[in-house]
Amino acid sequence: MKYTARIPETNVNVTPTSPLWEFFVLLSGVIAIIVGIYLLLGLALNIIVPRIPMTFERKMAGPFINSMASVDRSSEKAQTVQKLLDVIQERYAKLPYTFTVYLHESPRVNAVALPGGNIVVFSGLLEKIESENELAFIMAHEMGHYVNRDHLKGVGRALVFIMISAMLLGPDSSVGNLLALSLNITEMAFSRNQETLADEFALNALHGTYGHVGGSADFFIKLSKEVNTGLWGHYFSTHPENLKRIAHLKNYSRIHGFAEKSLRNIPAIINKKRPA
Amino acid sequence: MNDLTIIITLVAIGYVAGTLAEKRHYRSIEKREREFLDLPAITIKNVDIDDAKVKKAEIVYGGAVISVDYFKRIVAGLRNIFGGAVKSYESLIDRARREALLRMKAMASDATMIINVRIETSTIGRKSHKKSVACLEAFAYGTAIYLEK
Repeated sequence: MKYTARIPETNVNVTPTSPLWEFFVLLSGVIAIIVGIYLLLGLALNIIVPRIPMTFERKMAGPFINSMASVDRSSEKAQTVQKLLDVIQERYAKLPYTFTVYLHESPRVNAVALPGGNIVVFSGLLEKIESENELAFIMAHEMGHYVNRDHLKGVGRALVFIMISAMLLGPDSSVGNLLALSLNITEMAFSRNQETLADEFALNALHGTYGHVGGSADFFIKLSKEVNTGLWGHYFSTHPENLKRIAHLKNYSRIHGFAEKSLRNIPAIINKKRPA
Repeated sequence: MNDLTIIITLVAIGYVAGTLAEKRHYRSIEKREREFLDLPAITIKNVDIDDAKVKKAEIVYGGAVISVDYFKRIVAGLRNIFGGAVKSYESLIDRARREALLRMKAMASDATMIINVRIETSTIGRKSHKKSVACLEAFAYGTAIYLEK
């Protein structure tokens, strides 16, 4: 047998394929499946969550409220917000929750509804407040989340996603992280709807407490002047774009015949900055 | 949002750099394969040659380590979910083995032939349960036969 040297014409060991195309096909497949499961679970949670007893929720919330460092509930500032919340509770919405307000020293302009009636208010938000009605609207908005039990739904979905991802891909996998981000965007679509419902509850609460809805949109008007969300901001923001939100508030008030009257002053302590 | 930017950047860098490196490597492999075309590397153990004609016989070997890029790793990770041929790793193994064979041939450039050629493959730099990019090592070895001219 004679050995004839030659170079093979084709490489049979490497499939001639576009790796980018494969990447997009696979990625969209996985995203479609996970988003599908996630949406189904979202619906399932809507059925389960209203049946979770309040006592169980309190118990569940205990550990992570205690683990949150630098929250304060006893300062005068926190107590003032607490009192305002209690007034709304008493005059308008007797919810089956015992609300506790925590103050967190942070420049973030936000408030968060955590399980068990625990509301965390960031000090950056309080510094922007100009009237009692404005603050009452924000607190009532957070209460609105408890009415719909949005806080539990969010926690439930996050938990389910982490479990699916860990089972499929193992903990801390880079593919898992990629999927988590795409789901974040889906989650935001969920919560945009929740925000609108909470806003509507807050308007009713404000009307029930003060007899008018003055000051309800003040906060968002302020924000819309300050923050330019940019091209991408719209997709990545949990709260519906401020202008749309203001329009919805005005519209809802008009339909329900809520008037706007003069505002009440805010206690001085609320705007006070933390001593540096 | 920030994490997404980091991941997209890594995937893009992996794709661009990985593709460029692969193209360049293949050009180099094909060039050297043509140069070594006259040096047969075969898998048979025994050749029918008169012992007196054999000047020298010695072991020759060549190894190459090729790393996975981030893009290939992500594609393979997604492929792990659905199953099927992991096409993104095919070129990696192909390059590692051909490079190892070429280095083995370079070690025996004066030989008449290399017999009993074997190729071993292993992964290195991959710790279990830890996030790390795996590398592929191919190691080729054989017996170089030098005949009297």
